Amino acid sequence: MAKIAAVLGLLAVLLVGAALTDGPQAPADLTFIENVDPNTLDPQRMSYTQDFRLCYGLFEGLLRWNIFSEDFHVVPSLARRWTVSDDGLVYTFHLEPSAKWSNGDPLVADDFIYSWRRAMMPETAADYSALFFCISGAQEFFQARVAQLEEYASRPAEERTEAAAIMLRAECERLFNETVGLRAVDDHTLEVILARPTAYFLDLCAFGPFFPVHRPSVEAWVTVNPETGALAQAHGWTKPEHWVSNGPYVITSWKFKRELRMELNPYYWQPEIVRSRSIRVVYIEDMNTSILAYETGVADWHSDAEVEYVGDMLRQKREGLRDNAWNFSTFGTYFWSFNCRPRFSDGRPNPFHDAGVRRAFARAVDKEDIVRKVRRSEERVADVLVPRGSIGGFESPRGLTYDPDEARRELAAAGWVDRDGDGVPENERGEAFPTVELLCTAVGPHKNVAQAMGVMWERELGIKTKVAINETKVYRHRLHSKDYMMARGGWYGDYLDPTTFLYLHYTDDGQNDRGYSNPEFDALLDAAALELDPAKRMTILSEAERFTMEEEIPVLCLWNYDQYYMYKPPSKPYGSPNPGGLRNLSKHPRLVQYLWLLEVVQPGDPARPSIDADAFDFAEDEGGIGGVSTGQSWSGSQ
Amino acid sequence: MIGLILRRLAQLPLILLVIYTITFVLSWLLPGSAVMSDEGRAPPKEVLAAMNAQYNLDSPVEFYVGYLDNVTGVRYVRETLKGDRGNPPEYIFDFGPSFRYEDWTVNELIASSLPVSIVLGFGAILIALVIGLGAGVIGALRPNSVADLLTLVVAMVGISLPSFVIGTVLLMVFPVWLGVGQVGSWGNAANALLPAFTLSLPFAAYIARLTRLGMIETLGADYIRTARAKGLPERIVIYKHALKNAFLPVLSYLGPATAYAMTGSFVVERVFNVPGIGQHFVGAVKNKDLFLIMGIALIYSGMMVVFNLIVDLMYRWVDPRIEQA
Repeated sequence: MAKIAAVLGLLAVLLVGAALTDGPQAPADLTFIENVDPNTLDPQRMSYTQDFRLCYGLFEGLLRWNIFSEDFHVVPSLARRWTVSDDGLVYTFHLEPSAKWSNGDPLVADDFIYSWRRAMMPETAADYSALFFCISGAQEFFQARVAQLEEYASRPAEERTEAAAIMLRAECERLFNETVGLRAVDDHTLEVILARPTAYFLDLCAFGPFFPVHRPSVEAWVTVNPETGALAQAHGWTKPEHWVSNGPYVITSWKFKRELRMELNPYYWQPEIVRSRSIRVVYIEDMNTSILAYETGVADWHSDAEVEYVGDMLRQKREGLRDNAWNFSTFGTYFWSFNCRPRFSDGRPNPFHDAGVRRAFARAVDKEDIVRKVRRSEERVADVLVPRGSIGGFESPRGLTYDPDEARRELAAAGWVDRDGDGVPENERGEAFPTVELLCTAVGPHKNVAQAMGVMWERELGIKTKVAINETKVYRHRLHSKDYMMARGGWYGDYLDPTTFLYLHYTDDGQNDRGYSNPEFDALLDAAALELDPAKRMTILSEAERFTMEEEIPVLCLWNYDQYYMYKPPSKPYGSPNPGGLRNLSKHPRLVQYLWLLEVVQPGDPARPSIDADAFDFAEDEGGIGGVSTGQSWSGSQ
Repeated sequence: MIGLILRRLAQLPLILLVIYTITFVLSWLLPGSAVMSDEGRAPPKEVLAAMNAQYNLDSPVEFYVGYLDNVTGVRYVRETLKGDRGNPPEYIFDFGPSFRYEDWTVNELIASSLPVSIVLGFGAILIALVIGLGAGVIGALRPNSVADLLTLVVAMVGISLPSFVIGTVLLMVFPVWLGVGQVGSWGNAANALLPAFTLSLPFAAYIARLTRLGMIETLGADYIRTARAKGLPERIVIYKHALKNAFLPVLSYLGPATAYAMTGSFVVERVFNVPGIGQHFVGAVKNKDLFLIMGIALIYSGMMVVFNLIVDLMYRWVDPRIEQA
């Protein structure tokens, strides 16, 4: 027994020792909770909100958004000024000459060209590579590179050597320089030639995938694969010990699923705009635990508090029982997709191919009822895809509202009438309307929403439904292969233009999971793409939205997503500072947050106003944010 | 003894190969695409094709062989031998990249989460031993007394209550109401205490039952009567003579229990936000993160074999009769 006790004692000592060597980090100026780890810190490969949040603190792009303004316009960042040619095709950016990377290297125009080239290469696997195709020659380069790799792969094995792969790479770079409309006029002047006038190009310049990466750091982890000829990119450079970036912060520690720490970049060219010098991100996957952690003071801000009882927390706030729960409408819409192809994947004819049937289904759903009683949230009911009022100059159509009589009329007009008195409508050939399978995933409100819609359709139209809950991977696969009847969906806009939503319906677009195709609609988008007058262009896009949301209904929109935050307000009801409160969070539907602006109110802080739109634009005069001097040429751009 | 160690270690590669093959077949059959994220944007199809080509996802045979090549260190050795022209991977035993956590390799993920799980698992087993042996001995000394019933009740609660209930209650009581410790933090001994305790309860309950049964049986044995007749103090009779034999079933349970405690703590890890390896057992499969699935399956099986070996060795050490048998 003594032997065993000795072994156990030894183990206990080892355990305590192991635990002590792994102590927690010092507190930071700002701590916030995220539910999931970043997918990647490589800006060109990002597509998740939590990744971009870090990106905007770690990197700096040509432009940034005025996140406090209503129209979310762009303001200078690294590009201190820029000009646009009269035909809207040539953009010239003049970069800040004193900007540096966090290792002291100067930031030059070539860094942008290198980073954008990465995004245009198929092997980088950038989710947003298609956004770069507005640049002249980009799409051609992408296709040529694909062809180049295919040709290489078809060579006999003995010709596919390391040397051949390196040659192929050089050839690819030559190809890029010849075809793509990007040019460094000098170290601090970047010229971009577009393939077509792109009204939202400046907005893209403020978007994460367009931010530069440090070439030598990234290249250190790139190898050529002699078998495929493709570049293999490892991501060791995203680790703190190799990290080099050009934004306000650098990463100093990153422990998987635990925490990530950022400190002020010693070479950042504009340190005066940074409000918190150190930031700690704590990752807590379990929602209840993350709420408890916030409530017990682990963090100053909880960036995604969507728990089942968030409605109760918001009610408590209205009743004055708490001050730290918030909901904001976002640039995203929850919807259900109709399979729009003529036939289902098993060969049966698809009644949803008929827009009349889709309209009938949309008219029969009482969305208000679903959002308030099933979803049980305060989210805004949506009858259109582009969130209403989110884009300046874009007029949203009315959309189809709840009208069961009209629904029945539409269904009858489409040829579906109950001919044999069994309650289920039949077509002219006497075939009953098929039972509609509603495809969704287990987590979230989808199942309840599907059941509620099913009850409404059965009540109003006599059509039966069944809910099919699939595992996420299966759901995703069925969605892409159009192997479904109706499926849950949703979309968040990427850039501030209606097309970020409208291209979902474009024939054969990569995100068109509906299989929807209508030449009339495609023609509208094509016309908008060529239209140089911004007001006329918006009118065309409004018409495209009206066409899909009032006549065609490829998707049945239900609500605009809310985002839930937890933080203490920066000031007390009568305006005095509220220690522990958080200043300068943006409430714009796009909910982009610039971490370097966030600031926790300290005890004894003087009462200062939070930054608003004007302060952001003109703060340079006031010694605040810095960024804009008046009279910029951008006001003359589109 | 040495023969046993050698024999077991020689079996290890074979066991791992079988496990790898089964895991590979099962995870290859998982539906959906491994390289496409679930809720992010769908990249152009050329991009997906390029990624499939990069990771051999088009051909199961190439993937199977290629993974073996990397994970066994063969490729590392081969490339290193090539000298200047070689291009050895970052690790000798290269478990590949993670699809879901794009900036991390599977080696890094395991290296960051396995030590956490080992600390948590060992801690839980230690606590389970203290509670289990104590409760078991008390129960055996006075069977059917109030103390015995009480330990029985506690043991039943430990077995039947799911750990997310116990964990949440503990979180509410200690950090939230009493202000002791932090929610969702990891990194010092105090943070490890609550999750280790939660994780230990089912093991403690089982150990208590094993000890109690073993003790009752042993206390009725002839040599215990002899020991008492010799006039030995009761303390020595119980701890030196009786417990030693009663402990053997507990010891054989400890091997699988330790491996299980170190890896089977998905729920506890979630509730207490412990960055251990248990999360990957569920998450990797959900994400079809092929390299991660196979990496942790291999690590887990390796640990199982090693812990069973250690228990066998301890067995012989505690009870030399076993070696002769």
